[in-house]
Amino acid sequence: MSAVLLASLMALNFGCTKNFEDFNTNPNSLSPSQSDALLKSAIGPIEQEIFHNYQIAQNLSADAFSGYMMAPNPFGGINNMNYSLNNGWNSAGFNDQYNYVMAPISKIGQSMVKTKSPEAWGISLLVQVMAMSRVTDKFGPIPYTTAGSSLVSTPYESQKAVYDAFFRHIDTAANNLQAYMTANPGKASFFGVGDLVYAGDPAKWLKLANSLRLRLAMRIVKADPSTAKLQGEKALSAPGGLLTTVADNAAVAQSGTRDNDLWVVTVAYDGDNALGAALQTYLVGYNDPRLPVYAKPATDPLFTGQYIGIRSGANTSFNGLGKAGYKTYSSLNSTDAAKSPIGQKAPQILMTAAEVWFLKAEAALRGWTGAGNAQTNYETGITTSLQQWNVTAGNYLADATSKQTAYADPKNAANNAAAVSTITIKWDPAATNEQNLERIITQKWLAIFPDGQEAWSEYRRTGYPKLFTVASNNSGGTINTQTQIRRLPYPSTEYGNGNKDEVHKAVALLGGPDNGGTRLWWDVDKANF
Amino acid sequence: MKKSLQLTCLLLYASTGLYAATPKDHFNRAVSFHAAYQDVIKGTVKDETGATLPGVTITIKGAQGGTQSNTSGQYSIAAKTGDVLVFSFIGYQSKEVTVGTQSTLDITLTPDSKNLETVVVTALGVKRSEKSLTYNTQQVSGEELSKVKSPNLMNSLNGKVAGLTISPSASGVGGSAKVILRGSRSVSGNNQPLYVIDGVPISNNGNANGQQNSIFGGGQDGGDGISNLNPDDVASITVLEGASAAALYGSQAQNGVILITTKQGKSGKAEIGFSSGVTIDNIAYEPKFQNSYGPASATTRDSWGSGISNTTDNLKDFFKTGVNTSNAINLSGGSEMAQTYFSYSNTYASGIQPGNKLNRNNLNLRETAKFFNNKLTVDGSVNYINQKINNSPSLGLYLNPLLGLYLFPRGVDITPYKDQYLLAGNEGAARQNWLGGPADINQNPWWLTNLNPNTSTRNRYLLSGSIKYDVAPWLNIQVRGNMDRTTDDYENRRYAGIATNFNSTATGYLSQSNQTYVQKYADAIANFTIPMTGSDFKVNGLIGGSINDQKTSGLSLAGNLSATDFFSPANTIVAQPGTFPGNTLTNVVPVIPNHSQLQAVFGNANISYKDWAFLTVTGRNDWSSNLSYTPNDSYFYPSVGLSFIVSQMFKLPEAITYAKIRGTYAEVGNTVPPYLTFIQNTLKADGALLFNTNKAFRELMPERTKSFEIGTDLRFLSNRINFSFTYYKTNTRNQYIPVIAPPSSLVSTGYLNAGNVQNKGFQFILGADVLKGQGLNWNTSINGSLNRNKIIDIASADKINSIDLTGAGNTSYISRLQVGGSYGDIYGYTLQRDAQNRIILGGDGSTASPYVPLKSTDFNYIGNPNPKFQLGWNNSFNYKDFSLSFLVDGKFGGQVLSLTEALMDEAGVSEATGIARNQGGVKIDGVDTKGNEVSATINPQSYYSFVGGRGGVSGEYIYSATVVRLREAALGYTLPLTGKTFKSIKFSVTGRNLFYFYKKAPFDPELTMSTGNGLSGVDVFNQPATRSLGFNLNVSF
Repeated sequence: MSAVLLASLMALNFGCTKNFEDFNTNPNSLSPSQSDALLKSAIGPIEQEIFHNYQIAQNLSADAFSGYMMAPNPFGGINNMNYSLNNGWNSAGFNDQYNYVMAPISKIGQSMVKTKSPEAWGISLLVQVMAMSRVTDKFGPIPYTTAGSSLVSTPYESQKAVYDAFFRHIDTAANNLQAYMTANPGKASFFGVGDLVYAGDPAKWLKLANSLRLRLAMRIVKADPSTAKLQGEKALSAPGGLLTTVADNAAVAQSGTRDNDLWVVTVAYDGDNALGAALQTYLVGYNDPRLPVYAKPATDPLFTGQYIGIRSGANTSFNGLGKAGYKTYSSLNSTDAAKSPIGQKAPQILMTAAEVWFLKAEAALRGWTGAGNAQTNYETGITTSLQQWNVTAGNYLADATSKQTAYADPKNAANNAAAVSTITIKWDPAATNEQNLERIITQKWLAIFPDGQEAWSEYRRTGYPKLFTVASNNSGGTINTQTQIRRLPYPSTEYGNGNKDEVHKAVALLGGPDNGGTRLWWDVDKANF
Repeated sequence: MKKSLQLTCLLLYASTGLYAATPKDHFNRAVSFHAAYQDVIKGTVKDETGATLPGVTITIKGAQGGTQSNTSGQYSIAAKTGDVLVFSFIGYQSKEVTVGTQSTLDITLTPDSKNLETVVVTALGVKRSEKSLTYNTQQVSGEELSKVKSPNLMNSLNGKVAGLTISPSASGVGGSAKVILRGSRSVSGNNQPLYVIDGVPISNNGNANGQQNSIFGGGQDGGDGISNLNPDDVASITVLEGASAAALYGSQAQNGVILITTKQGKSGKAEIGFSSGVTIDNIAYEPKFQNSYGPASATTRDSWGSGISNTTDNLKDFFKTGVNTSNAINLSGGSEMAQTYFSYSNTYASGIQPGNKLNRNNLNLRETAKFFNNKLTVDGSVNYINQKINNSPSLGLYLNPLLGLYLFPRGVDITPYKDQYLLAGNEGAARQNWLGGPADINQNPWWLTNLNPNTSTRNRYLLSGSIKYDVAPWLNIQVRGNMDRTTDDYENRRYAGIATNFNSTATGYLSQSNQTYVQKYADAIANFTIPMTGSDFKVNGLIGGSINDQKTSGLSLAGNLSATDFFSPANTIVAQPGTFPGNTLTNVVPVIPNHSQLQAVFGNANISYKDWAFLTVTGRNDWSSNLSYTPNDSYFYPSVGLSFIVSQMFKLPEAITYAKIRGTYAEVGNTVPPYLTFIQNTLKADGALLFNTNKAFRELMPERTKSFEIGTDLRFLSNRINFSFTYYKTNTRNQYIPVIAPPSSLVSTGYLNAGNVQNKGFQFILGADVLKGQGLNWNTSINGSLNRNKIIDIASADKINSIDLTGAGNTSYISRLQVGGSYGDIYGYTLQRDAQNRIILGGDGSTASPYVPLKSTDFNYIGNPNPKFQLGWNNSFNYKDFSLSFLVDGKFGGQVLSLTEALMDEAGVSEATGIARNQGGVKIDGVDTKGNEVSATINPQSYYSFVGGRGGVSGEYIYSATVVRLREAALGYTLPLTGKTFKSIKFSVTGRNLFYFYKKAPFDPELTMSTGNGLSGVDVFNQPATRSLGFNLNVSF
């Protein structure tokens, strides 16, 4: 009897495990073929992820360091804005682009897209370069071509190697797009309307590829002038051309219930973000027509109707003021959901034609072949930006007297600061290259708002526009108040996880201590010319 | 033929017998069990020491039926002269007495032998003599459990079992409880024990809400499965603590097993029990507020303004008196052939927060019958549970009424907001009447309790059956099966007016889910005893197989409303229109599915020598569907144990009645969660493809707990004193660990097997019948346990040495497992200090740059909430018809974090901020950043807005978790009845959590925000613990 029982048990156990794989297949997930059928839809969300975790990944660092914005919220009083760098915030700027952009793009690379729709693979590579250039420009050496090579410890690469790889990836993207356009004239890319930047238009992506090459080339002009010139001139003469008009601008559209990240931080988070003193003093000093588009007047009963921003690193908990005391200062303008730079549904800018004109203006100063005339490029840059925001130039281009104003904080005189810049708007052919560079970068800074990441990078490269120093510096001596913050430290998770040996090697590649005072490879401490 | 006819009648006998004065069979003939001229024989049954014995079975030899002695040892039975009464009771020698002419028969029973033969229910429901066990078990009787009732059965075990740590959820009536035996060991899996009813496992699942996973919370405790049971149906609970005890149950039992034996019908006269109780709950403590300073302005929600003279007690306006009523009736009866047990109970409880209610109905029917000369035993039961919980409080920062309540400006009257929480004429968030308007973490408490209602409804069926056939005197075969089917419905309605981040359209919001969980279990076991007549050796054992299939399915829906406050799924707005034009989408998504099947074969052999040496060997092989797609889906694990009854091996001093030493080693394997071995992509809510970037580092395999324990059981002075001691050590290795891989790996979550979590410690029980005999009886017992947990390894081979159970998420709390640390470690921000531990102050002391303390840049270890040592002291006194019992327990050591205090400090409402202002500032003697000693007085508001708040310096909010309390007390009186109608009537007055002898934390450190692995030891506006007083009535007739 027991033998029978035992035999039936054995049969039970050995007979029934054949359904196990079926049981262990998640009924809510996609089969490989279903997955392939949906590949088109994958790119849009990845494009949006460039702004993942926006508040801590960008707003509370680059947006403030660029002088554009400042948080009324003291966030405990000691934080990034006054150079006490918050590891938890800064890790978002590092980790998220790997997790939410590069990792899924590596999956696209493993799919049939790479072979069957090379132009779509090219677009994916451009999205990846835009995401990862933000990371290397914050931290310095990062794993890039090595990413995904190990589950545990991934070697970092020097920033030069990373930039070289960016140029190679732009090469692949541009070649694939060109070949596709030749073979399929007028036809949208495989991604089609799933692409939230250009709805799959390969011609525009090619322009963006060339423009991105010019941006990255200019970034390394002091560190590696020959590569910069080579890549810059390649961009200036590249088939397909550059972003030239407002219609070419690259921005990620919102979809569904997704809202503009700066709107979320500024409006939905009830004033976690406001206008920075630097941007206020330039816009007001220049009588800039973009002032009412970018900013809205203060609502504080003490100075209602005036444009008064907050100085970077201001002690906003001074005298118990806190967020409530400072959120009534000038904030960013969000009135028009679609048109304001931070409207609730406004697309999030990746790169504009105006920026390209200013890049060409600088290229002309540097004598790069194909750059054209510096003054024309400079003035076209300004007018393209004004068109972008639907304002008229008036006398703006001819204004040779207006300058940045001083800053006064009505609630805490300790934050007051004299103007730091005397540069004017009108092009001056007689001025030195250095003066004209200041003019170009200052206007570029006004034009590319609210892209704080690009503005902070260009500030570090050129020293322009001249910005107020932080009102208080809690870096413990690692960041010089005058030279200002140069980078973000690697997240402590890199020191705690499997990458800890590699991150130590990365610090050697960095060539200085892993803190906010160490300059990146392209941030060379020498004259611009 | 006649026999089979009888069989069909048995059930009817049993049930009709309950109602009919004269039992009849189904041919409607009077059945005469007893002679017509019988008398009632009464008496009291006592043991050899004179203590009364309840529950003694009294039968008439050769007749069907019988009775049992009541709680006072009294019995009455109808018998006639010449009948032989048989008195039998487990552990005692049966006694036969022939009825003479007397109508009173007082009986004294003597223990079975000088070695008390206690029978213990072990794994798979197998009953074994306690002395043959090679591991430690503890038993708690049903009577002990229901003495002071709690709506969750497990809370009644708190303090009564050594090595068991129970942390009730701070979530009001219907909340779950975290139950940990001998420390947590699984990094990412379940750490709670397996629950087994009458030999077969049941599920302990909560509803689709599950538990909170961050301090923001906002959801409700989904309840747990075990709390659904009716405590009155429980005959006893056996706790199998070690892996050894549980080895036969396999995977699910690596954290120990709680074996619940339910009541079944008794042969003999029909018996009806009725119990009724009412308990009154009030909050046991309040946070400490300041009463000297009011708000900065009439519209701000802080208390950093000028002095006030009036005081307010806003809490009094909010908290209510909770009332818990329970009524249970049970009917049992039957013959020696068939027994029936039927019970119905209702629990109705209202919590201390407005609107929080629990209503539970339990129906239970159990039939047991024997056939073919008692060779075939059939047992079946049906349990139906219906439970509805209204307005379970939200835990954490979000949607929790206690934030608005506690942080309300001092000195301001809150009652206008209570009287009118809805401004009906307004639209959107302006509908909520709240000082300064509703914000994400601060809303009108009454708005939340009235216009953010939630309901959880559970319907649960537990069907089980078993057939056992005695093939031969040395062999029986048993086949069992059960099905545990739970359907949970949940609904949350947010009316228009809630803070905008919970309803962006300002038109209202609806979320619903329904989830069905089905667990099917079946086993077949052959129990054998090898006949070895005349030998000193005895061998018995079992061999069997089992299959356990668990499946979760269901749908959930969530969305903002189109028409305001019209709560219908059809009125919800599709949450995320797609990236693609024309994508059709839905608000309805599947709940997290699960399908796991475990198949096993197992065997066990027990060899004894001369009844004083015992060897137990078990082996089990599992096949787990969760490990399919890998070669590791079959795994074997063994256990071996040895025990010696020293008191039978050697002649020991007279005082030692019984001495046993035991030791055991066991391994238990455990599988991984489902759906990890075959990685597939999914869809985003907006219809776009979402790549799954998770990856197994290496092929997954089962985890393994290796456990070792040794111990002794001693009894002295004819069993009046007993002592039991166990030392144990467990190491859980090869754990399934999901790791956050370095992001540059391009893998988001990496799956691997690694880790070594060690728990070692000891536990003891010392019990004594201090006074026994006539008059006053006093039984006392002390249980104690010490556990040391150590994270020896996480995944050092992959250079991963820590893993976060609860991430920081923009707050100052992390629950982190770090190599060298221990389970539950709390990490937070601390003040920066120099090498001499002096506080470093930033600034230069000038007006422009005053001295400020500095926050650590990274998270540091700040405490561990687990008690270092636990002690429970249980006492019961009996004097004539009175009984008194009380339980004092202490949990010593450990630290807990109060973010409640941190937020109260930030808002300036706490007592600490009042004291600081009275003193003119917060005085800190520290050093400046250059290392010079400085003495600073810091503006209190600056200081507390820096250290306080959810992201402040959490290291300043660590409190001792030591707590010593009077957990339970009960005073009972049994009416001395010997009448025919009532067998017994007992009244009792009970109390729970009556008094804290010692508590330094500003909350009850035992309460937990989540019964999962993370979020332990942190108070985020948890509902305060309650003090309960109750009255119970038990009647049997």
